[in-house]
Amino acid sequence: MSNPVLLQNLKTLFNPHAVAVIGASENPDKLGFHVMKSLTTGRFKGTIVPVNPGAKSVMSLPAFSSMGDFPGEIGLAIVVLPAKLVPGIFQECSRKGVKGIVLISAGFREIDDSQGALLQSTLADLANKAGIPVIGPNTFGMVNLHIDLNASFTPEFSWLPKGGIALVSQSGGISHLMGFMAMRQNTGVSKIVGLGNRLNVDFPEMVTYLMGDPDTRVIALYLEGLDEPRRLMEATKQTRFVKPVVAYKTGSSRTGNHASLSHTGSLAGRHEIYEGALKQSGVLYVDSAERLLDTARALALCPLPKGREVAILSGQAGPGMAASDVCEAEGMEIATFHPGTQRVINELLPPLALRTNPVDMGPAWYNASAIEGIIRAVMEDGDVDAILILMMFASANRAAVSGFSELLLKWKQQKPVVACLIAPPGIWDEEVRRLEEGGALINVPTPERAAKTVAALWQYEKMRRRNNGITPYPK
Amino acid sequence: MTFCMETEMDKTTKIIQTALKEGRKTLSEYESKDVLKSYGIPVTREILVHSREECMKAVHAIGYPLVFKGCSPHLAHKTEKGLVRVDLRSEEEAILAFDDLTSRMEGNERDVLVQEMIKGSRELVVGMTRDPQFGPCVMFGLGGIFTEILKDIAFRVAPLEKRDALDMTQEIKAHKILGAVRGMPAADMDRLCDILVKVGEIGMENEWIQEIDINPLILSGAKPVAVDALIVLKAAG
Repeated sequence: MSNPVLLQNLKTLFNPHAVAVIGASENPDKLGFHVMKSLTTGRFKGTIVPVNPGAKSVMSLPAFSSMGDFPGEIGLAIVVLPAKLVPGIFQECSRKGVKGIVLISAGFREIDDSQGALLQSTLADLANKAGIPVIGPNTFGMVNLHIDLNASFTPEFSWLPKGGIALVSQSGGISHLMGFMAMRQNTGVSKIVGLGNRLNVDFPEMVTYLMGDPDTRVIALYLEGLDEPRRLMEATKQTRFVKPVVAYKTGSSRTGNHASLSHTGSLAGRHEIYEGALKQSGVLYVDSAERLLDTARALALCPLPKGREVAILSGQAGPGMAASDVCEAEGMEIATFHPGTQRVINELLPPLALRTNPVDMGPAWYNASAIEGIIRAVMEDGDVDAILILMMFASANRAAVSGFSELLLKWKQQKPVVACLIAPPGIWDEEVRRLEEGGALINVPTPERAAKTVAALWQYEKMRRRNNGITPYPK
Repeated sequence: MTFCMETEMDKTTKIIQTALKEGRKTLSEYESKDVLKSYGIPVTREILVHSREECMKAVHAIGYPLVFKGCSPHLAHKTEKGLVRVDLRSEEEAILAFDDLTSRMEGNERDVLVQEMIKGSRELVVGMTRDPQFGPCVMFGLGGIFTEILKDIAFRVAPLEKRDALDMTQEIKAHKILGAVRGMPAADMDRLCDILVKVGEIGMENEWIQEIDINPLILSGAKPVAVDALIVLKAAG
């Protein structure tokens, strides 16, 4: 990071004792209302300081006409005022010794009027001089779930479970999409940060900060385009493999120079170069929002596979086939079981279905101990590097999941276990949640996604090995 | 080592300066390969000739089978313009080809490039482009007519480390083409990666070079050889 003071203050920005809301309001038509609601309903433990010259109190909290009137220190100021008032607020923040700002207001570099860009550069000068890191402008804000700080205009982000994934995004929309997907999948998040126009906090600053953040295990990035992409490469390169970084970038529509005289020139879309550059700096590159989430989740909660041999154990043949197809397409191998393993499976399953990998456990629906026995044999098989367990609910197999739960909970993923246990709402939810929270597996919505997720883990492990000079392509 | 680098750069700089002085946007194939050669990238053995006499001398020096190409800095797409003759195997064929090529070329520049014919059915492409944000970037992919049809390519930002080079060769869909297939030996990955690293170096060290195309880079047995090359210069501001 160019300025060490900014990085130091970024810590306080995310972990303040007191948060001021500049433009706090009780009017639901104002963003200042929603930000206040985020902080209060999010149960922030520190002090909330509403600042509004026209109000005595906001949401039953004493309001101040300016930050200067508040007697204590302010770690973070969330600003939701119209753009033209913001330079004055920045000066006030500087006088007050505020350590960080989340600038939600819009009307800066993103607008057509060149005055917007001018105003933004004025703000950047003010903030840099004062050593204040600024998230935004033109952002929904950020959340730091581990201290119950919801500094955004979306109170519902506080519903997210606490966990190890930090999402840093260039788009508010994608942040919300990912946040809500994470809720539906019970995926634990540490932080969600909307970078907006990136006044002085950009991806490299966030990556550097998050690498040292004890609550974050995996860094997920959503990018559209950067002003200085080489700075991100430097930041990720310096810390590569300290924590996994996964990135999803949109904007593959070609903007390259079509009039180029060479093949190379005409084939070089910015997107292809980004992809190469990210991979080169140890970033795992994915091509969709759901893959970003699945991959980040797997990297946060599963061990890395030691090889590419996958065991696919399915309650029905179809999902097993679907997962096999995707595994192969994604560079994984369908493991050939050790003869001992195969013998056990043959003993436990009648010769009605496919007993070799992918195993169709359908005939054992009524026999929980047989399913458990198959899973156990595969766990112990040295020729298996990762396990997929796929089970679609049927009235007759209702007890199947609870039948193998204890075994998996005790084993705690000595190899990665990615599952697709799918039932109508309410039937297996509790059991799946217990398995996930116990570190027994991660559950994803489709067999294909399960396969892609396990492949992404291997992809990351290959990259890590190459970085350490270990040959990544075993025979 | 340092001395060697300096002479490489001097030679490249001289070629580029000459071209710029002449107001050209590209280097000829011969000049382009000279630049590659000075960085240690293996290129076809070739001699630029201006007359029948020189041509025959070159023919005997290199030996059959041969490829003749019309060679001028103003020629970008030689094949489309009918300025390539391949698999020449006798003096008669050589003279006929020389006369034919020179008659098809306009103006004063009627040079013919006499080139060894590289045998090998695996055609690759290696390139460099100077991105306004990333700077020099290196490309690897399937070469020949497949380059633009399949777009099976990978990019890395220069400077490349050897492992970056190895990664990009494994990243293309057709990466198995580099293995031992259909009786052909596996590609010499050391040399191939070395070429990728060096193409990045050329980009880093020569700011006047905007783009490089080595297409095709043919696997002659295991060994990659630059068979055609084009260097595009930055438009003089």
